[in-house]
Amino acid sequence: MIYISIIIGCILGAIIGMHTPVISYTYSSYLAIAIIAALDTVFGGITSVLKKNFDLKIFLSGFFGNAILSIALTYLGERLNVDIYLAAVVVFVGRMFTNLAIIRRYYVDKWTNKFEQMTFKVKETNSEDKK
Amino acid sequence: MKGKYTMIISIGFATLILTAVMLTQFKTVEQTDITAIETMRETELRTELTDWKNKYEEIEEKLDETEGKIAEYQSEISNSQENSTILDKELDETDMYLGYTKLQGEGIEVTLTDSEFKTIDRWDLLQLVNELKLAGAEAISINNERVVSTTEIANVGSQFILINGNRIPSPFVVRAIGDKKYLESAITIKGGYIDEMKVNEKIVNYVVKDSIEIPAYSGKINFEYAEVNK
Repeated sequence: MIYISIIIGCILGAIIGMHTPVISYTYSSYLAIAIIAALDTVFGGITSVLKKNFDLKIFLSGFFGNAILSIALTYLGERLNVDIYLAAVVVFVGRMFTNLAIIRRYYVDKWTNKFEQMTFKVKETNSEDKK
Repeated sequence: MKGKYTMIISIGFATLILTAVMLTQFKTVEQTDITAIETMRETELRTELTDWKNKYEEIEEKLDETEGKIAEYQSEISNSQENSTILDKELDETDMYLGYTKLQGEGIEVTLTDSEFKTIDRWDLLQLVNELKLAGAEAISINNERVVSTTEIANVGSQFILINGNRIPSPFVVRAIGDKKYLESAITIKGGYIDEMKVNEKIVNYVVKDSIEIPAYSGKINFEYAEVNK
């Protein structure tokens, strides 16, 4: 059910995105930061699902909160003449890599275990045959 | 069960927003012309501005240089204009010497007419021209034919005299520009040209005038055999 909702969301989002007007280049930098923040939250959500401590409230608040906060920080940086959006990019992308590493480890571990179990079973059957 | 539905709907909503925003961004980045001023960021605009300022200064320097060059050329042009006016003057003078210009000035007008008994021949004209030249005539014409350095005065038959290749009949009107007193006295001197003509029973009249017009030589002076010997 969740996968179906994700696919439908993707398709509808794509259709909406196709028909939105082109926004000004000045604001597109804010939007880019918001997208990166949202992607970071998505990867964080996947990690939490794997860790079995997924909380919808935390996910949604992170999704929108991070995006809005990053936009606000970028705006502040523009005002202060400091490139704060660089810091936001570094933090979010760094966290994305960390989360990706956790997801990778989880699946690698899972598949190695499966493979080892299979080989173990094969060995067991072999030894039983010898006996 | 209720919690699961809210989760499904909210996750779908989040995905929807994320994809929509991402596609918008893709489109924006793709379609935006980075060189357009409205889309640039402040820092970019600043660097661009300094670039343009530098360029402006360079171009201004070039402009100064070019203006200096133009001033030079203009002074040269004015110089050459002076030269050309001098050349024009020289040309006019040369034309005057050669007889290629109409002339006007004080002088004398001598008319030789055939009488019943005697006709005017070339010797009479030649002598008259010679006398006038001696008296300092600056320009001479015979019946509106300018006497130049190549002008011939020759008999053709008994009635015509050939001047500048044209047959000219009597009466012959010889006009000369020069000092009118000199010219007059040169031909009226005792035992001079007029006396001689009267002795020979030829009709001579002369008028001293303050303004005599002499036409330009209409032929061309060609040098076929002569070369400048340096």
